[in-house]
Amino acid sequence: MSASAALPARSAAQRLRTTTTLGLILGAIVVSAWQTEFSVASLVLGTVDFVEFFAKLVPDWSYLPEIWGPLLETVQIAYLGTLFGALLAYPLLFYASINTAPNRVVLMVTRSVLTVLRSIPDLLFAALLAPVLSIGPLPGVVALTLFTVAVLTKLGSESVEAVDPGPLEALRAAGATRNQTIQFAVLPQVGATLTSFLLYAFEINVRASVVLGLVGAGGIGQDLLGRLNFFAYGDVSLIVLATFALVLLIDGASIWLRARLI
Amino acid sequence: MALAHVPPRPAVQRRNARLRLGAAVGLALLAVVTLATLDLPSVDRVVTGITTNVPPIVGGFLTPEWSLLPRAVAVMFETLFMAILGTIVGGLFAFPISFLASGNLMPSPVLAYPGKVVLVAVRTFPEILLAIIFVAATGPGPTAGIMAMGIHSIGFLGKIFGDVVEGIDPGPNEAIRAAGGNGLHVFLWSVTPQVLPEFASNLLFRFEINLRAATVLGLVGAGGIGLILQQRLQFRLWGEVTILLLVIVAFVIVVDSLSARLRRSLA
Repeated sequence: MSASAALPARSAAQRLRTTTTLGLILGAIVVSAWQTEFSVASLVLGTVDFVEFFAKLVPDWSYLPEIWGPLLETVQIAYLGTLFGALLAYPLLFYASINTAPNRVVLMVTRSVLTVLRSIPDLLFAALLAPVLSIGPLPGVVALTLFTVAVLTKLGSESVEAVDPGPLEALRAAGATRNQTIQFAVLPQVGATLTSFLLYAFEINVRASVVLGLVGAGGIGQDLLGRLNFFAYGDVSLIVLATFALVLLIDGASIWLRARLI
Repeated sequence: MALAHVPPRPAVQRRNARLRLGAAVGLALLAVVTLATLDLPSVDRVVTGITTNVPPIVGGFLTPEWSLLPRAVAVMFETLFMAILGTIVGGLFAFPISFLASGNLMPSPVLAYPGKVVLVAVRTFPEILLAIIFVAATGPGPTAGIMAMGIHSIGFLGKIFGDVVEGIDPGPNEAIRAAGGNGLHVFLWSVTPQVLPEFASNLLFRFEINLRAATVLGLVGAGGIGLILQQRLQFRLWGEVTILLLVIVAFVIVVDSLSARLRRSLA
């Protein structure tokens, strides 16, 4: 009386599905590894370099006074990007939600523009804007503003589309305008969620603004790249540690606030 | 006189309205202070920058350099393959770690804390920062980018996987134990079937994020389309930049919608 004898056999269709899925995944891995010349062997051989490199990463604390300014600038860029992005995104997201858009054409146009906007990473925006808006925090703020619009409209329109349709219908039946419907039927339902998305966007933006300087868009990334080019690994590791602490601090504060909002 | 019958707003609402107003004023003041202290270029410089740069950019957008298209598609495929491998590497590491970070599978919830802390720490480092470290340590190329994405993905996937594992139905676990099954049986026939669809769906979601990330890893020499994009940007070859952007946007949108469809069929 073996236990496995009691198990029903898997059907042929089930087995075929499992085999095909596994085959496709394996195929994708093999092709990808071959095309990118990714090899575990070279990685294992590289661990010696890696350990040697990390041994050099002893933080040089005497550099600390010089990073407060760039760190502050990093947070400032994230703050302005989040704020301006939110000011643009909150009105816009009602045009991108099926239950609050004035008509189909506006909905489709807004959604298409936002889809394209969303497909471009923040760092790419910054790299494109830096040559135009001159090196410094300005292209960073503009890049994060665009990125915030993309994030908030996506998250926001999803929750607006999920609201209870009852109050909307009631207000429309009573002859309310589109703005009145949004103000009295939609906002009371999603206000807290939308505010918590704002904090979430700020968290993402702080992480993003840490690296904006790599393409000349201000913040601590610029210093990081500079110290790295001079092989000043003590300064590099201090910057990495400081950004780590900054992100943890902001995340913690934001999560605490968000838990109180909802 | 319908309005007369509307009751006055309750005290809680009025207090919340005052709070909201206060928060808005505070945020606006903070924005003014930030703008005043930020090292912004003068208006003249911005205007000059725009007037000298925008016409060639618009010109480049209107006359894309189509001869770059085959090369752009080829490097974008490399970028796509990097994203696939990065996601797989992340998933492979996140899978065991997520079980170590789940309060319901560890002998005691306290024992899950080390795993959770590791995941938070990993999540904090942006992948481009990890990419810089990998490039500095092991040299430039796609492998550095794949490892950077892989490690960063561990944080995200481990967290989500852990939440999924903590949310499973304990019934089947107990049934298997009651029928005499051991820990391995529980893992294979109760935990795995319950978590696999959600794991797969989140892997796909992470893959979508990684594809976007992979397009910029080249900016720091970690492989993919970002490298040639940065060269074209430095030489301000806007016609070629246009092609690269078109290829990125097209790839991301197509892959996103395919992946979203797959995720829906999993759910």
